[in-house]
Amino acid sequence: MKRFLILTKAMTLMHLRNGYVLFWNFTFPVLLMFIYGAVMSQYMDYMTPGVIVLNALSFGLVSSSTMMLEMREKSVLRRLQATPLPAVQLIGSYLLVNVIIGVLQSTLIILAGVVLYDVPVTATSLLLSYPMILAGMLAFMALGGIISGMAAKAGSATAVGMTIYFLLMFISDMVFPLDMLPDWLRNVVPYLPAYPVVQLVRSAMLEATLDPKWLTHLFLLAAYGIGATFIAAKLFRWEPKA
Amino acid sequence: MSKPIIDAQNLTAAYGSITALKGVSLSVEKGEIFGLLGPNGAGKSTLLACVEGLHKPNQGSVHIGGINVQSDSTATKRQLGIQLQRTALMDDLTVAELVEVYAALYEVYLTSGQINDLLARFDLVEKRNVLARRLSGGQQQRLALAVAIANDPQIVLLDEPTSALDPHARRAVWDIVRQLHDEGRTIVLTTHAMEEAEALCGRIAIIDRGQIVACDTPAALIANLQLNSMLKATVELPLDQVRSLPDVSNARYTGQHLEMETARPEVTLTALHELAGRSGRSIRDVMLRQPNLEDVFLKLTGHALAESN
Repeated sequence: MKRFLILTKAMTLMHLRNGYVLFWNFTFPVLLMFIYGAVMSQYMDYMTPGVIVLNALSFGLVSSSTMMLEMREKSVLRRLQATPLPAVQLIGSYLLVNVIIGVLQSTLIILAGVVLYDVPVTATSLLLSYPMILAGMLAFMALGGIISGMAAKAGSATAVGMTIYFLLMFISDMVFPLDMLPDWLRNVVPYLPAYPVVQLVRSAMLEATLDPKWLTHLFLLAAYGIGATFIAAKLFRWEPKA
Repeated sequence: MSKPIIDAQNLTAAYGSITALKGVSLSVEKGEIFGLLGPNGAGKSTLLACVEGLHKPNQGSVHIGGINVQSDSTATKRQLGIQLQRTALMDDLTVAELVEVYAALYEVYLTSGQINDLLARFDLVEKRNVLARRLSGGQQQRLALAVAIANDPQIVLLDEPTSALDPHARRAVWDIVRQLHDEGRTIVLTTHAMEEAEALCGRIAIIDRGQIVACDTPAALIANLQLNSMLKATVELPLDQVRSLPDVSNARYTGQHLEMETARPEVTLTALHELAGRSGRSIRDVMLRQPNLEDVFLKLTGHALAESN
């Protein structure tokens, strides 16, 4: 346990001292709120949950793997592999730090919504929202794990992650309502990973209730999360591709 | 002889279609400084990686202190202190944080005082709170060594500990390696620098193209091959006449310099003077070089150490 704590402290410091990590994780989400607010300030009640999921998506698919990819490319992972540290502790420590970062980001966005745009939140709505955000974030991070396992380099992982992010952003009921999509796409979208998170977080935050289909949504997310974790674990590499 | 502390038997290792090790066997005795000498790409790092449990050999086995690396790598990793070829530390951490965390990975928990003592040995106390990425190359290398022994290992594996260091920093690392040896630790290091192997190692395995071509003390390696000394002089004389001088086994020109391999340099030099006198030439810049590991390598492999870099 002491080993895990010292390692986790080191992981936290590494993240906090990295300018790239700080900008994309703590400045960018707030900037997003400013940007959306500037364009559609009267819809920010509706938009804020969307921005939270949008951010969780980019965090899960791209930012949460950044440090891991950097450690892989610089042979830090290989150096860690040479120690008796079990892989499960390394990954557990890394995920713990990143989940905390992800939750902090969502909190920053909620704070920005409340302070800047009077988005109404209550204790109940927050209490319901956080588990939903967390569920989504974990599924997205698992999917991000597949991307970084497959990508040869950090740059290509970012490119793939961002492409998926933009696709999902436009079709998952985050910024554009589902009605704007063609029929065939509208039938597919509910089975993609971002849509259920949007529904879960939106009803939790705005109405302080569970979405009518919450069980289906959570089940789908669990399926994505567990499936992706399994594949990501298979694809995990200590070294960059030769 | 006691049981070897590192015992590798018949290791074959491949990366895809490239065979890096071709049936290598090696035993390292407790308390020695053992050198793996060979050019880049010879298989030195792969051999170390098999010992470290980082690369699974296709065939063969490695035992460390009697424990099989393949079947219980956690137990064997605990006995080792490791420095990889590239200084691969988390460079957003400070010097002290790195020592603390790497010791902790071995479940060794150092106090602040112990960290200071360790850093003092590597002349890094003043850099204690500096981020690793802000250190110079020599300092980073010393930090990598400090981290390698943070868990107080009895066996230390160093992969090219001085490559890319200036001569001063290189000497500092040599001193550290000797200290670690004086404390009774077993050290295995790889190098492609002949003078490093000669300066540090009690025994050397010469490795080339995935095979160990010779393994002995540096002096024995040189003596066993009965290599000739190299006599160099700046003089213009016909090569065929030089080659027929007493005891000269080979002669060539490199630029202006005449190089002669000879078993008895003093006899050859006298004869060379006579030949030069008869031809009306003068000899300048005479130099005698004893055979070294570079010559051993050349003789055994047919190519120079630096060639296959």
